[in-house]
Amino acid sequence: MKRLLLLRTSYPTSSRLVATVVLAVLGVAITFTLTALDDSKLAGGAAIAIVIVGLSWLIGWSGQVSLGNSGFMAIGAYATAIWANHHTTTPIIFTLLLATACGAVGGLILALPSTRLRGPYLAGMTLAFSFAIAPLALNFPSLTGGSGGLFLNFLSAPTWFVNLFSGSQALIRANAQWTADVAIVVTAVAFFFMANLFHSRTGRAMRLVRDNDVAAELAGVNLQRTRTLAFAISAAYAGLGGSLLTLLTGSVTPQTYSLPLSILLLTLMVLGGIGTLSGAVIGGLIYSYSDNLVSLINKTTGISPTSTFGANLKGIVFGVLLILTMLLAPRGLVGMGSRLTSLVRRPARES
Amino acid sequence: MTEATPPPLTLAVEHVSVRFGGLTALNDVSFSIAANEIVGLIGPNGAGKTTAFNVVCGFLAPSSGTVRFPALGRENLKPAQLAKAGVARTLQGVGLFDHLSVIENVMAGAQSRPGGGFFTSLLGLPISSRREHLVRDEALAMLDRLGIARFAKALPGSIPYGIAKKVAVARALMGQPRLMMLDEPASGLDENELSDFASLISGLKDTMSVLLVEHNMDFVMPLVDRLVVLNFGQVIASGPPSVISHDEAVLAAYLGVEQ
Repeated sequence: MKRLLLLRTSYPTSSRLVATVVLAVLGVAITFTLTALDDSKLAGGAAIAIVIVGLSWLIGWSGQVSLGNSGFMAIGAYATAIWANHHTTTPIIFTLLLATACGAVGGLILALPSTRLRGPYLAGMTLAFSFAIAPLALNFPSLTGGSGGLFLNFLSAPTWFVNLFSGSQALIRANAQWTADVAIVVTAVAFFFMANLFHSRTGRAMRLVRDNDVAAELAGVNLQRTRTLAFAISAAYAGLGGSLLTLLTGSVTPQTYSLPLSILLLTLMVLGGIGTLSGAVIGGLIYSYSDNLVSLINKTTGISPTSTFGANLKGIVFGVLLILTMLLAPRGLVGMGSRLTSLVRRPARES
Repeated sequence: MTEATPPPLTLAVEHVSVRFGGLTALNDVSFSIAANEIVGLIGPNGAGKTTAFNVVCGFLAPSSGTVRFPALGRENLKPAQLAKAGVARTLQGVGLFDHLSVIENVMAGAQSRPGGGFFTSLLGLPISSRREHLVRDEALAMLDRLGIARFAKALPGSIPYGIAKKVAVARALMGQPRLMMLDEPASGLDENELSDFASLISGLKDTMSVLLVEHNMDFVMPLVDRLVVLNFGQVIASGPPSVISHDEAVLAAYLGVEQ
């Protein structure tokens, strides 16, 4: 009995696979009920969720802070746009894998000097990287399109999928939903792999290094290799997210992937809950639908979206949410959820 | 003493000196540990015990001399190589991973074993899950052996100090070591826990050698086969506890007895 209780905490791969498929099917089913606009927003949120889970892995599991993940997104985004413009018939899966690999290589290169640094020094290093990406893109216009960026054919639904829809908006709805569905499936696959890592020897190595590096080394963990691997995986996920976002929007510009995006990613990760898969999903959803919240505030308070205050309202909302989360639920919305669950369960058990 | 072929040495520290700038922390220190032997490394504060431990573990490189592990066929190991080579070490205090449950802390001791590499982990291949289950079962059995299985799901911060120390030993044992290095195993333990710990360490002797640094002489004397006494970075005596306890140099230096 005691043994069973313990084993329950280690989910085998097959359970994770089933959970992934069920959740992906559920996500795809939900897209059928949404408007074209909400489907597009969901697709963007799914791409951001991939980046957040990679960041969560780096910060929550390996204990390394990065302000440079928007830079890794840029690497994935540019790799996608450059490749797609030269090879228009490449299957999307290949483009995504290529961008993921480019992100990983970028992470590996930055990790080599960075993993020797701790705390604010590491944050400073990744911050510098975050600042360097836009000027780098601007300095190689023949490759990156300069300040105007690059454009590519965004994802469009295949004919059989378009045929599922009817009416005057059929093509728009089909395309929006197709992109959302593709994004959901890619996110599900990325999350499945991350869940595997969480529950593996590799995942434990990260937590050992984070908690006590001397004891980790004595347990046979190579600190440098483990920290580098954490960076490379995080950057690979950022590359994948950037690639997906580029395929969804059909464009990439240097301004998109600058420091504010890195800060936003950190904020979303903290709001959802650091180091958790569900926290990353929540972060992605907040990203998707934060505009809805802002327009609701605009409507109820009468603040004009064109006023100076109104134009900055989104940033203010995120700031307030972040402060409230740090004060009331340091483990994010996921942590708050599990705390509420345990509070509800406790009286039931006691009675 | 009259054995024809002495057992192979597990550890041989040979003429090791460690200098920090002008300060000599260890000066031509030599000692060894035979198979299935319990050796205590003692000495007053600042004698160089922890430095000696750190040199053996590779946290410090010796300025001169060699640390050999003849039975393991290795020398001058780096910390991350210790576990794989068959050397385990506990840390002063408890040195547990605070955010990992007790069972996961113990599982960490098997981290250096093969299997469950990055790609098998990422893809969730059966071999990865199987390894995790095996290690988990083994860790639970280890906790059971030490009588602390009921704490398996607790976090280190929520368990008594004596239990946490046992968890640290359980973690070290998971590496199936040939040499166990215990850094102040008795510190912070009450009388009951001390006798419990002494019998635990005595039991290890059947399958491994043990090197321990300890201040508590009541704990060390009946436990070890041999003592190595350090003072001002030098070995001033070495031998069985019965001899050391009457050694004049030791009494003068370590116990502070006027001669």
